[in-house]
Amino acid sequence: MTTDILLQTLASGVLIGLIYALVAIGLTMIFGVMDIVNFAHGEFLMLGMYSAFWLFSLYALDPMITLPLTVLMLFAFGVLLYKLVIVRIINAPMLSQIFTTFGIMILLRGVAQFLWKPDFRSIENSAVSGTVKLLGIQLGKPQLVAGVGAIVVTGLIYFFLNKTRLGAALEATASDKEAARLMGIDSHKMFSLAWGVGAACAGAAGVLLSTFFPIFPDVGANFILLAFVVVNLGGFGSVSGAFWAGILVGVIEVMGGLLLGPQYKTAIVLVLFLGVLMFRPQGLMGKA
Amino acid sequence: MNTMKQFYFAAAALALALAVPALTDASHLNMAILVLMAAQAGIAWNMVGGYAGQVSLGHAAFYGLGAYASTLLLVKFGVNPWIGMLAGGFIAALLSLGFGWSCFRLKGHYFAMATIAVAELVQIFFTEWEYGGAAVGLYVPMDKQGWLWMNFSTKLPYYWLALGLLVITLAANWWIERSYLGYYFRAIKDEPDAARSIGVNIARYKQVALSVSAFFTAAGGSLYAQKELYIDPNSVLSTALSIKMALVSILGGVGTLFGPVVGAVVLTSIEEFTRIAFGGTGRGTDVIIYASLIIVIAVFYPTGLMGWLRSFRERREARAHADRQMAAPSAAVQTLGKEAS
Amino acid sequence: MKKSWWARVAAVLAGAGFCLCAQAQQEIKIGVLYPLTGPGASVGAELRSALELAADIINNGAPGVSELPLSAGKGLPNLKGAKIKLVFADHQANPQTGATEAERLITQEKVVALVGAYNSAVTATASQIAERAGIPFLNPESSSASLTQRNFKWFFRTTPHDDLFVHNAFDFLKELEAKKGIKAGVVASLNENGLWGTETTKLQTKLAPEFKQNLVKQVMYPAKTTQLTSEVQTLKAANPNLVLQSSYTADAILSIKTYKELGFSPDMILANNAGFTDTDFIKTLGKDADYIITREVWALDLANRNPLIKQVNDLFNSRYKINFTGNSSRTFTGLMVMADAINRAGSTEPEAIRKALAATDMPGSKLIMPWKGVKFDATGQNTLGQGILVQIMGGKYNTVWPFDMASREVTWPMPKWDQRK
Repeated sequence: MTTDILLQTLASGVLIGLIYALVAIGLTMIFGVMDIVNFAHGEFLMLGMYSAFWLFSLYALDPMITLPLTVLMLFAFGVLLYKLVIVRIINAPMLSQIFTTFGIMILLRGVAQFLWKPDFRSIENSAVSGTVKLLGIQLGKPQLVAGVGAIVVTGLIYFFLNKTRLGAALEATASDKEAARLMGIDSHKMFSLAWGVGAACAGAAGVLLSTFFPIFPDVGANFILLAFVVVNLGGFGSVSGAFWAGILVGVIEVMGGLLLGPQYKTAIVLVLFLGVLMFRPQGLMGKA
Repeated sequence: MNTMKQFYFAAAALALALAVPALTDASHLNMAILVLMAAQAGIAWNMVGGYAGQVSLGHAAFYGLGAYASTLLLVKFGVNPWIGMLAGGFIAALLSLGFGWSCFRLKGHYFAMATIAVAELVQIFFTEWEYGGAAVGLYVPMDKQGWLWMNFSTKLPYYWLALGLLVITLAANWWIERSYLGYYFRAIKDEPDAARSIGVNIARYKQVALSVSAFFTAAGGSLYAQKELYIDPNSVLSTALSIKMALVSILGGVGTLFGPVVGAVVLTSIEEFTRIAFGGTGRGTDVIIYASLIIVIAVFYPTGLMGWLRSFRERREARAHADRQMAAPSAAVQTLGKEAS
Repeated sequence: MKKSWWARVAAVLAGAGFCLCAQAQQEIKIGVLYPLTGPGASVGAELRSALELAADIINNGAPGVSELPLSAGKGLPNLKGAKIKLVFADHQANPQTGATEAERLITQEKVVALVGAYNSAVTATASQIAERAGIPFLNPESSSASLTQRNFKWFFRTTPHDDLFVHNAFDFLKELEAKKGIKAGVVASLNENGLWGTETTKLQTKLAPEFKQNLVKQVMYPAKTTQLTSEVQTLKAANPNLVLQSSYTADAILSIKTYKELGFSPDMILANNAGFTDTDFIKTLGKDADYIITREVWALDLANRNPLIKQVNDLFNSRYKINFTGNSSRTFTGLMVMADAINRAGSTEPEAIRKALAATDMPGSKLIMPWKGVKFDATGQNTLGQGILVQIMGGKYNTVWPFDMASREVTWPMPKWDQRK
């Protein structure tokens, strides 16, 4: 096992970890603001991938260019989903919430198969294809761009939450719904905002993935378990937690798979995850 | 539901269950067996998920442990499946100690997520474990048949078996509900702080609920193995299976005795019906309908169908009460009416 | 007197009516069990098309395929022109669902036989039901060897199984060295860790030393994954000349992209069907798929030895806009074999069909597969089947082995990624 391979694996781990982080950020925001675990989050990813694919195949528009459009569409979709379904289960018991989002997950997969058939799709020869050598490490351009894109979007979210009034309102609702309402912040608006932003983040991750990952209706299933682990590890509701936990999970998964055998890569992540929870039940950066 | 009502409901359900074989053909009988098995798994889950309020989304781990335990004992050591089923139940209950130890210090969503992680680890273990057949799975031999070996060539004996297991699991749940255990479970679910302050050992009783639940879930797994005659990590250890066990209770009503039974009937019927009617087309319409129904029930009936039934009855009684009030006005009103005219 | 006259007229009319009914066309219901939703739905859709084409040819005929049995389009001649009716059922890649649907098809739909189910695990449970019910079950595509090791009477499989397929790969390497002087060198394997990949890995472990191949590393991975970096880096570290690979579609596509991303260029990739022969594989990868050799069961260029292959493919392509693959062609063949057996049985009695299946002896010229024929041994396995090896060039599958059936020479090694245009 040369240092070359170890370094390259580490770099790959960080890059895929950034994608995990972006998916998890959306998920953790939804939880942080309204206490709902969204099982259908992987499907926002899937929709983002299909959006990038169709805009590319039908209009020859590169995913990097259509990224903002897809993000907006997913935001609108998230808000729509909130207004149609989620708003009714805000105060329902946790189990009902879990099963509503679980039902949405299955529904979206079924609709995707219905509309676009179960075939596998891929985006070939987009503007970001090929490889690049950075500091002696070979990296795929799509993966590198995806990683950078994830950092950019995370930065935007961070800026939004901490430096804008709307973001502050969102944070306020997340920490104390009643107090925020007393200050004149409309909870429902905040909830639909959270869903929209959450969906948009996952959609963005989907677009970034679409340049190198196969696209099919059930693709969300590949990512959802790891997304949940990242959210838990980072601490439910913590955006920075999700960011760092995402990178950590990506690195552990890839390095662990390399050193202990790829068939155990998920097991290694899960063991780490359970281990952390035993000593820090609130996750790395969650509120105790 | 008070005891008398429970008794009547149970008697009616049992009568229906006994009549089913006479009324149906093999294929419908098979579906009835699926309902019974789903109900049994749901009731087992309900013991810890509904009554004690510990929402586990990793119960397939116990189901699979039961299936693998009894099958491995049979295939490798020639152990009778009846004994294997009991052994599997105890093994699962034992391993639930580890499950509980790692997960019970967590709360709410963290706990649920941890249970998913543990179950996924169990599935990965069985996928890699050569002795247990790894990903290739295990076949249950068909050479020894009859009640002694829990292996039949027709569906009817499996129906009685599934019904028997369901009745036993239900009886156990009923007994627990009425005993001090049930009292503690409800306390843990609804008022854990108050319970702790009066000296109830929360951790111990959570574990008790989990172990009992694990035992019965594993028994269901053994039955699956003996019926389908082939198990692999995907069919008895998947997260999808865990979700289904919990879903059955939610649809029917968590924390109620018959909730999982009702939920199993509804869920299995919807699943089978949509797939049979629309699955052949391959467009995915059956999946869309199934998912929509789950969403509708989860959104509009959060207390499950039993809860809806209860509130329906309560509203009817309230209305009947109001009608009686309207029909017989009070004496004061009558006097006023006389004076006015 | 009048009463008995009327009675006689009634009897005659009834008799005539009965004869008419017997003349009227019967429908032969065959249950077909495939993954139409969920994982495997992509393949399931193609298999469905293959089945519909086969049934249509039998029922309504088709031009230009005279060698194909029952292609006159008059249904089953020995059953008075009865037509085939396919009853589709979706098993969603779930063994219990497969068993449930098999049960339903047999007892409710009253099918005379079952054909299915692609996924080995589902075939395992569904065929149990058929075995218990005494209904013939024909399996055209599942490759797990254990399926014909169960001493079943009612189970028949037309496709060769994994044991033969892995042998094919090693036979190819042996002949490659003997006849073309190309050595495999250091060998590593990359297999998914489900039922199929696990069995393949075991077979490769067993056969490599027998064939004197230097298998230095065996990597296994979960097919439903988000990245294959660890896997490819592990392979890179082993520095093999040849990679033996068994992957499903999504991971096959992902693996090639990852090879390219991480600059891993072995001399050759020798794949094991499945994802590599999926219609979407070349479609999504384009030029990056070139040079890969994969075991297959069917190839269009074999039409020069057996014109029927192209004739039937033309029909398939004109209808569904895609070519056959090893999977869809085997499913097509499976239904043909079943229909032929029912026809020879001349009856819909299960035992008669079973006897006819057991007596099947279809020559290769009547098949669209490059097989010597279809003949079942005592375990229900077709002994005349075989695999072939194809190399992807210019976006097409070209037969390269057996050498006497090859349409082009093997190009070995593959050019490195950075040396391709």
